[in-house]
Amino acid sequence: MVDAVDTPAAFRRPRWLTTPVVIGGSIALFWIAAALTVQWWPLDDPVASVGRRLSPPDGAHWLGTDALARDVLSRTLNGARYSLPIALAVIASAVAIGATLGAVGGFLGGIADAAVMRLVDITLSFPAILLAMAVTASLGPSLRNATIAMIIVWWPNYARLMRAQVLAVKEREHVEAAVAAGAGGPRVLLRHILPLCWSPVLINATMDFGQVVLLAASLSFIGLGASPPTPEWGQMIAEGARNFYQWWIAFGPGMAILSVALGFNFLGDGLRDILDPRTQ
Amino acid sequence: MRDGHMAVSGTALWMAAPVLVGAALLAPAMARADDKPLVIARDMDINSLDPARTWCDTCQIYVSNVYESLIGLGPDNKTLTPRLATKWESNADQTQFTFHLDPDAVFSDGSPVEAKDVKWSWERLHNIKGGPSFMMDGVKSIEAPDAHTVVVTMEAPNSEFLGILTAPYTGAINSDVAIANGANANADADKSDTSEPWFMANSAGSGPYMLADYKADDELRFKANPNYKHGKVGISEVVIKHTKDAVAQAQLLESGGADVAMQIDPDTAKTIKNDAVTIESVPSYNFVYVAISPGAKGNTVKLTKEVRQAIGYALDYNGTIDFTVGGQGKLQPAPIPNGFPGTADLPTPTQDVAQAKALLVKAGLPNGFDINAEFPNMNVYGVDLSLLMQKVQQDLAKVNIKVSLTPLEFSVWRTHVRGDGIPLTAVFYAPDYFGSAQYIQYFAMSEGTPWWKRAGGANDASITNAKEADLLKQALAAPEGEKDKFFHDIAMEMIGDRVIIPLVSPNVVLAHAKSVKGVRYSACCNLPLDEITRE
Amino acid sequence: MYRYIIRRLIAMPLLLLGIVSIAFLITHFTKGDPLISIIGERQMDNPIVIAAARARWGLDRSLPEQYLIYVGNLLSGDFGTSLRTKLGVGHDLAVRLPATLELVVAAMLLGSVVGITLGVVAARYRDRAADHLARLFALIGSSLPVFWSGLILLFIFSVRLGVLPGPGRLDARTPAPPFVTGFYTVDSLLAGDLSTLGEAMTHLILPACVLGWAVMGLISRLVRASMLDVLHQDYIVAARAKGASEPRVLVNHALRNALIPTLTIIGFTFAYLITGAVLSETIFSWPGVGSYAVDAARSLDYPAIMGVTIVGGAAFLLTNLATDIAYACVDPRIRFR
Repeated sequence: MVDAVDTPAAFRRPRWLTTPVVIGGSIALFWIAAALTVQWWPLDDPVASVGRRLSPPDGAHWLGTDALARDVLSRTLNGARYSLPIALAVIASAVAIGATLGAVGGFLGGIADAAVMRLVDITLSFPAILLAMAVTASLGPSLRNATIAMIIVWWPNYARLMRAQVLAVKEREHVEAAVAAGAGGPRVLLRHILPLCWSPVLINATMDFGQVVLLAASLSFIGLGASPPTPEWGQMIAEGARNFYQWWIAFGPGMAILSVALGFNFLGDGLRDILDPRTQ
Repeated sequence: MRDGHMAVSGTALWMAAPVLVGAALLAPAMARADDKPLVIARDMDINSLDPARTWCDTCQIYVSNVYESLIGLGPDNKTLTPRLATKWESNADQTQFTFHLDPDAVFSDGSPVEAKDVKWSWERLHNIKGGPSFMMDGVKSIEAPDAHTVVVTMEAPNSEFLGILTAPYTGAINSDVAIANGANANADADKSDTSEPWFMANSAGSGPYMLADYKADDELRFKANPNYKHGKVGISEVVIKHTKDAVAQAQLLESGGADVAMQIDPDTAKTIKNDAVTIESVPSYNFVYVAISPGAKGNTVKLTKEVRQAIGYALDYNGTIDFTVGGQGKLQPAPIPNGFPGTADLPTPTQDVAQAKALLVKAGLPNGFDINAEFPNMNVYGVDLSLLMQKVQQDLAKVNIKVSLTPLEFSVWRTHVRGDGIPLTAVFYAPDYFGSAQYIQYFAMSEGTPWWKRAGGANDASITNAKEADLLKQALAAPEGEKDKFFHDIAMEMIGDRVIIPLVSPNVVLAHAKSVKGVRYSACCNLPLDEITRE
Repeated sequence: MYRYIIRRLIAMPLLLLGIVSIAFLITHFTKGDPLISIIGERQMDNPIVIAAARARWGLDRSLPEQYLIYVGNLLSGDFGTSLRTKLGVGHDLAVRLPATLELVVAAMLLGSVVGITLGVVAARYRDRAADHLARLFALIGSSLPVFWSGLILLFIFSVRLGVLPGPGRLDARTPAPPFVTGFYTVDSLLAGDLSTLGEAMTHLILPACVLGWAVMGLISRLVRASMLDVLHQDYIVAARAKGASEPRVLVNHALRNALIPTLTIIGFTFAYLITGAVLSETIFSWPGVGSYAVDAARSLDYPAIMGVTIVGGAAFLLTNLATDIAYACVDPRIRFR
C-alpha cells in the first residue's frame, strides 16, 4: 500500500474518502436521483397492469410482476418518490423541533430544561407503535399523517442529543469568555455554542435516514401509511409477504430499503470522518 | 490475531450451545406421536365464548361443536337434519313450530337435555341483546309443555325459522350449570347476566367437544365430550392455533405442524407441493361486494340509478375473479349466494364498457366524475380487499370515473359507513344459516334495513323499493315449495337497484393433511369437527 | 444515592398517571367504534343492541366519568376488561409480558454480546478487513426490514432445511407448561418437563436471532465509535506500555469505559422492544405485548390500550432508572442532584 507522503498532493486521496464512503455516496446519489427524476426514466407505469400477474423476472420485466400484473422494478424505483422525501421531511422536522428544544433547555437550564426533559420523557415512554397508530387513527391513514406520527416519535432523540452537546460545550472556556465580555444569552447560544454542536446532530441525522425509511415501511406494513395503489416500499413488502413464493415482489422493495439504509449509513460515517477531527 | 480468533469462536460456541442442547432435548418429544391432537391453523378472531354474546367465524366453529342446535345442516348444505330435535312440525301459516327433543340427549356433565334448557337458552339469546340476538326476532313465545317438547309461536309468519335454528348460536346451554355461574334469561339479562367470564373458561353444552383451554390470540383447545350421545368422536383433542396469514398457515401445513389450514387463498394453494397435503377448492356461499351509497355526504355528483348502472357495466367481473382469487371463484348476480332459494336462473353480470359510457352521457356526466372509496383493510375468504379495490379503480378509470382509495381499520370504517356514509365501498358477507330472508333483511332497499339506511334511504325516496318488502312478507308466509318464486323476484329487484353489486363468490380452499378425513365446508358451522378422523 | 432512587420511584406512578391520561384523551378522540368487536357487523345498525352494549361496557357515560371510573379501578389494581378479548387486561398482560420478555431478553443478550464483540473487533482492526466485515454484517442487520428478513429466514431454516421449528412459542400440539412465571422455559424447567423446555428454547432461536441482528447493528456501531474515542486516550497507551496483553487492554481498560454510552442504548432499546417488537411477534406468532398493543389500537380497545401504555411507560421509566444507577456505579464523576 502506497504511503500517503509519497503521493503528490494533487493526487492524494482525502483520508475520509474510503471505499465504503464512495459506495455509500453512490447509492445515496442514485436514490436521490431516482426520487427526483424517475418519472422520466423509461419504465412501465407503476400503477398500470402490464402483463401476466405474478410472473417471475424475465427480459420484459426484470423484477417480474405482482398480483395486479404491475411491473415490480418500476414500482420499486418509483417508491423512491415517496420514501425519500418523507424520510427527509421527518428528519428535518424532528431535528428542527428536537434540536431547538434541546438547545434551549440545555442552555437555559432550570425550569426550561426540566420542562423539555419531561416532555422528552413522556414522548419516549409512550409506546411508539401506539403513538403512531393513535395519530393515524385520529387523522386518517395517509402518508402525510404517517409523517406527522413519525416526527412525533423521532424528535426526542435529537432533543437529547443536542441538549447533551450544549451542556458539554456550555462549560468550555470560550463560552465563559464570551459571557464575561458581555454577550447576551441568544448571541452566546447562536454564535458560540451551537456552531460546535451541530456536527454530531448532522452525522446522526444522516445515519438515521435509513432508520426512518425502515420505520415508514413498518408503518405501511401494518397498514398505516400509503393508500393503494401508491408504490410505497413497506406496502409492497406487505403484498410480497402475502405472495411469499413469488419472492421478487418483496425482493425489490426489500433491497431498496436495505441499500438506502446502507448507503446513507456509510455516508454518515464518511461525514463523521470529515467533521470530527478526533477520529482522523 | 489469535486473541481475536478466540473471541469470535468463543461467541460462536455460546450461540451453538443452546441449539445443541435444544436439539438433544427435542429428539425424545418427536418420537412420542401416537394420539396427536388435530391442529387447525386459522386466524382466530374470537370475540367471546358465550353463545349469546359471540359473533365471528371461529366462534361458529367453537359454538357449533360444543353446543348442539336442534336442527343440523346436511353435507349438501341445504337439507335440514335432526340433531337435538328428532322431529318437528310447523303449522300451515308458518306461525307455530313444534320440536320433539331426543330423550337420550345429555349435556357434558351427564344431565339430560330438556325442553326447559332449550327455552332458557333461546330466551337468553334474545334478552342478552348480543350479536346473535336477532335470530330470535319475531318470536312471541316459547313453551315447554313437557320435558321433551318445545313449542315456538311467532308474531308473523316466518318460514325461515327452521333454517335459522341450524345456526350454532341457537344451541342448547345446560341452564342449571350456567345459572349457577351467573347466567340468566330474564328480560334484563343484558345488564344482570354476569356469566361471560365463566364462559371464557368453561363450556356447558351437549356437543361432541368441550372447552379444554383458551388463550386469547394464541390457541383454543377442545377435548372430546365423554358423554356425547353419538359415542366416540374420531379425534379426542383438537387445537385451533392462531396463525394470522395464509402463507404461515401453508408453511405450517407443509411442515406437519398443522393438520388443517383454513384460510389459504388459491394463489398460495398453488405453491404447496407436498404429497402429504390435499388441496380442494369448493364453491362457498361467501361473497365480496361493492356498495354504492347515493346518500353519502362525500358524493361529488348525484349517484342516480343510471350512474349506478354505469358503474355496474364498467366493472370487469371475470378479471376481478382472476386477480383476487386466481380464478377460483364464481360470479354472483344478486346479493343472495348462488344455490340459495331464488337464485336459479338469474342473469349473470356482464361488463359492457360502451354501455357504461353511454349511460354516463345520458346522466349528464360525459367526462366522468371523482368518487371517494373507503374500505376495510382486510383479507377475507381469500380476497384481499385492497387488491380488489385497486382492480375496481382500474376498471372505473376506463370510463373516466376517478376513484381515490382509502383503506381503513374495520372499526374506523364502521363509523364512517354508519355516519357520513361512504360513496363507494367494499365488504364481505357470510351466511348465518341456510335461507334467503337474511339477505333481504340486510341488503334490500326496504325501509329500515342496514343498507337502506347506509345508502341514504331515509332522505331519498328514490332509493326505496317497496316491492321488496311486500315480496318478502309473501315469501315468509309461503309453504316450503313456493318460497323460491318470491325470492327470485326479490333477487331481480335487488339486481335492478344497483346499490349492492357482488363481485366475487370466492371458493373455499380445503387444505389438510392427506391422513385427515372428513374435512368439509359447512354453511352454518364452518367446520364440523365430529366428522373428522385420522387414519 | 438511595434517596435519589426512592424519589424517582415515588415520581413514577404520577408520571404513569400522566401518560395514561394522555392515552385516554387520544384514544377517546379518535374516530372509530369499539363496539364492532363486541357486537359484530351484523347488528351494528340495531339501536337496541348498540345501547345494551354501550351500557354494559360503560361507554354511554360521559368522558370525565369514564376517566374517573378507570383511574379509580386502576388504583385498586383493576386494569379493566378488554373490549376485544373479554378477559381482564391485567390477565392478558400477565400472560403476554413474560412472552415478550422471553423474546426480548434473548434478543438483547444475543444482540448485545455479539454487538459488543463486533464493535470491539471493528475498532481494534480499524479500516482493515475485519472492521469492514463486522460493520457490514451489523449494518445489514439494522437496515433489513425485520418483516422481510424474518420471513426469509423462517423459510430457509424451517421450511426448506427443517432444522429449526416454525412460528409459535411451542409446537401447536404441545400444551403449555403449568403457569408459574409465564416464561415457558422457566415453567417447564420448574415442572421438570425437559422436552417442553427444549422445544421452548428451539422456538426461541430464530425470532431472537432476527430481532437480535437488528439490535446488534445499533450496539456495535456505538461500541465501535466509543472504543475509537477511548483507544486514543493516554491511559490506553500507558497500559500497553506497561506490557498488558491486547485482550486485557481491550476489555479491561477500553471496553469498560466505552460501555458507558452503550448502556443507555441497551436500556432504551430494551424498553422500546417491550411494546415495539410487533413485527417479529406477528411473523413468529409470538403472542406478546407488542401485537396485543396493535390489536388493541386497531379495535379501539380502550382498557387494553391504556394497559399497554402503563406497561410501556413503566418499562421505560424503570430502565431509565436502572441505567442511571448503572452509570453512577461505573462512573464516579457522576453526582446526583
